[in-house]
Amino acid sequence: MIHLQLPAALAALLAGIGVYGVLARRNAVLVLIGVELILNAANLLLVTAGSRPGAPFSAGPVLTLFVITIAAAEIAVALAVVLVLFRTTGSIDLTAVPDLTDEPEPEPESRPEHGSEVRS
Amino acid sequence: MTTRDIVFAAVGAITALSALLSVTTKHVVHAALWLLVSLGTLAGCYLVLGQELVGLVQLLVYVGAIVVLVLFALMLTRAPIGPHAEIDTPAWQRVVGAVLGAATTALLGSLLLPLFSGATVDLAGGAPGGGTPAIAQAIFGTWVWPFELLSVLLLVALIGAFTVSRLVLKREDGVRPRPREVRR
Amino acid sequence: MSWIVRMIVVLPALAALAGLLARRQRTFAAGIAIGVSAYVVVIAFTQWVAPARAADIESIGPLSTGGLQVPLHLLSDRLSGLVALAVALVVVAIQVFTAWYLRDDPRYGQFAATVSLFASGMLLLVQASDLVLMLVGWEIMGWCSWLLIGHDSERPEARRAAYKAFIVTRVADIGMVVGLVALAVRAGSTDLISVLTADGHETALTVGLVGVIIGVAGKSGLIPFHDWLPDAMEGPTPASALIHAATMVAAGSYVIARLFTLYVGHDGARTLLAVLAAATMVYAALLAFAQTDLKRMLAYSTLSQIAIMLAALAAAPRDIGSAPAVSHLVGHAFFKSLLFLAAGWLSVLAGATALAALRGRLHGRGALRWSMGLGLAALAGVPPLIGFFTKDTVIDAALEGATGGGGARAWLVVVALFVTVVLTAAYCARTWLLLDTPLARPGTGTDSANDIDIDAEMPAHVRADATEVPETVVVAEEDVAVVTVADSADDAEVERVRAHGHAPITLAAALSVAVLAALTVVGTLLLTSLNGALHIGVLTALLSVLLIAGGAYAVWTLSDRGRHDVADRVPGHVRDAAVRGFGADTAYLGVGRAVTAVARLVVVLDRDVVDAYPRATAVVARGLGRAGERSHRGVPSLSLVGLLVGVVVIAVLGVTAWR
Repeated sequence: MIHLQLPAALAALLAGIGVYGVLARRNAVLVLIGVELILNAANLLLVTAGSRPGAPFSAGPVLTLFVITIAAAEIAVALAVVLVLFRTTGSIDLTAVPDLTDEPEPEPESRPEHGSEVRS
Repeated sequence: MTTRDIVFAAVGAITALSALLSVTTKHVVHAALWLLVSLGTLAGCYLVLGQELVGLVQLLVYVGAIVVLVLFALMLTRAPIGPHAEIDTPAWQRVVGAVLGAATTALLGSLLLPLFSGATVDLAGGAPGGGTPAIAQAIFGTWVWPFELLSVLLLVALIGAFTVSRLVLKREDGVRPRPREVRR
Repeated sequence: MSWIVRMIVVLPALAALAGLLARRQRTFAAGIAIGVSAYVVVIAFTQWVAPARAADIESIGPLSTGGLQVPLHLLSDRLSGLVALAVALVVVAIQVFTAWYLRDDPRYGQFAATVSLFASGMLLLVQASDLVLMLVGWEIMGWCSWLLIGHDSERPEARRAAYKAFIVTRVADIGMVVGLVALAVRAGSTDLISVLTADGHETALTVGLVGVIIGVAGKSGLIPFHDWLPDAMEGPTPASALIHAATMVAAGSYVIARLFTLYVGHDGARTLLAVLAAATMVYAALLAFAQTDLKRMLAYSTLSQIAIMLAALAAAPRDIGSAPAVSHLVGHAFFKSLLFLAAGWLSVLAGATALAALRGRLHGRGALRWSMGLGLAALAGVPPLIGFFTKDTVIDAALEGATGGGGARAWLVVVALFVTVVLTAAYCARTWLLLDTPLARPGTGTDSANDIDIDAEMPAHVRADATEVPETVVVAEEDVAVVTVADSADDAEVERVRAHGHAPITLAAALSVAVLAALTVVGTLLLTSLNGALHIGVLTALLSVLLIAGGAYAVWTLSDRGRHDVADRVPGHVRDAAVRGFGADTAYLGVGRAVTAVARLVVVLDRDVVDAYPRATAVVARGLGRAGERSHRGVPSLSLVGLLVGVVVIAVLGVTAWR
């Protein structure tokens, strides 16, 4: 017999901590840690709500499982991006990301640039 | 306050505290390790709530895979060992973050606590909602389409991670990254 | 009888089409042109003799429009019979003359076809009982006049003159169209009878009448639209004879004559017409006096005579009606076309149109001399020629209008008429003296005998003296200074003669001139068919004869019996300005530039003010996109701040609003 206000309060708390974690960190991976905390807060809330009598289709636990899966997929891709950033710039400091491009390097004699104005 | 309440309160307190430590510590690797503790105790919360499958999957996937992945990423990006002063964003941004975090907590709390007031679940008669067999029925019954789509999503994420990691990017200002010495 | 009316209108148009298709075969084109115009004379004569007196002859059936009736009827009455006959006679004479005059022109076929089309336009206007048909005829004539004036299109002066004529008359046509539309709307129908009998709607009536006056002022060359006419002398002489004697310039008088019952009741419009006509009458006569070119003199004379016709319409009282104006229209058609054709003949012989180069050319020329003389006499108003009768009818009608309550308007017209009579006699006398008084040439004595006789026995002997080439003409010294570039209005003719030499005039062409001369003498008989077309007051006739004699005598004495050009007494700078029309051309260019400037302003407003708003959306969208892109590529850490702030704000808003 458990009062469901406690898990709800914990979920709210974790969400707030996760938001702080996203904004307070420079390192890209630590920002991702904050994102994970937010996701887990959502998961806890889902489980809590799904525990109430009368929850249809076992939606609570099932959706939680889905969210875990999606979080896994997301963090895989996110960390791949972070690794490319590290390889290119040598650091993953999110406050100082230089402009990047994937265009090929221009030839020494570059073509004259066409103006982008449209003459009416 | 029942027994479960007290147990939950204890486990939950550890979860919250370790999460807080994770986002405030000055050690990069410690942050990941505190995350590990936080997610592990969260699995314990699930168990207290009676959701065994979710708790175990949480341990397997989140703690066993995702946090490990995070640690690998930290190592591959040469996370500095020891306290690292530059780990945090500028002070004003941290203040904004704290405000926003508090606002988020307050918002959610003000919504949820009245919503769940007086709600209780009796776990004496087994897990709420029927337990693991019921969940299995639900997944392969009602939720089969999202389930399949999720597997496609995982495949896409896999291929995406491969592709992204093979991207060749250049800095627009032409500076090549120099190999960083291991710093104390 | 109604088929005659339709034939009169349609046949010249068909001739134009056939002539255009056959333009390369000279004889065929000439045959069509002359043959059809001769046939039109025959059927016009039939209409003159026995008009159908109907105003509801169907042409192509009524147009089905909404509320406005457009029955497109033709009419046939005494007025249309007389004018159509006069027009047809002039047209056939011109077609015959042109066959000789443009003998060396490779584009004769187009010219003849255009003349036919022009004739069909005028005849449509004459026979129309519907405002739409009148307007169609009006516009056809406007376009054809551009074609004819600019016939020698390789010459820039001819092109310029053609454009000037077209644009000036077109600007005035705005008034015409607005006026006719106002009249039609007022009557709810474009039928002439309905328009004349409708009542009410005073503003629409005023707009209509004033608009028509403006349109007529353009085509008939009233001040301020007058300057296109002298410049239009760049066209070949038969074109001038057609346009500026018989048809286009007189069409306006005909239209106002048709609408006369409406004008009679409207004093304001008639006052406007009276003022314009009186001013043009006197001004043009003064300028004609000063001209140094024969054709330009005739052009200014035309301006003056047309103004007389319109003044008659402005001053005549209701019971006399529009007949005096129409009679002067017919008379002017005959003697002016005679004068133009004779001038063309003379210019071929002499190789120039400048009066200084033509001095004394008429002397001893036989038929040409008499034709020119008769024409000038008729223009001056010497009895018993047609000019005397028609001009006197006009003066009499104006006097009756003045004494019958016409007020200042009619008195203004009367005074202007008398002044013009004197001036006309003066410039006619001057022209005659200049053309006829032989110059004493050093060493060659008087002109060698080179009578051009229209003796039918020997056309082969009809030939001008081969030594009459311009280079051997010796002009008296004091006249050399007057021969300037502006003198010869018809440079094409000069070039043509110099290129091809001058062939003797054919019998047919000479006959056409003779026919016109005969009409000038006996044409008064034609006028008897129309009520009120001949109305001579004895006193006014005597007075005008005295004025003519006085003017001629004064010129004769002042020019020392023709030895000098009396206009040389006019101071040089005034004379030069008068020859060029006192800067009216520059004024027209100024108007054109002002309009173009306004148009450019409108373009700028449209592009940069009105159009700026749609274009601004594109510019703003692009700017927003660039700003978004820049903010996106900024520091990711800060982007996260923005993102989460936004999320929390929206969540708070959503929650509070939901509550």
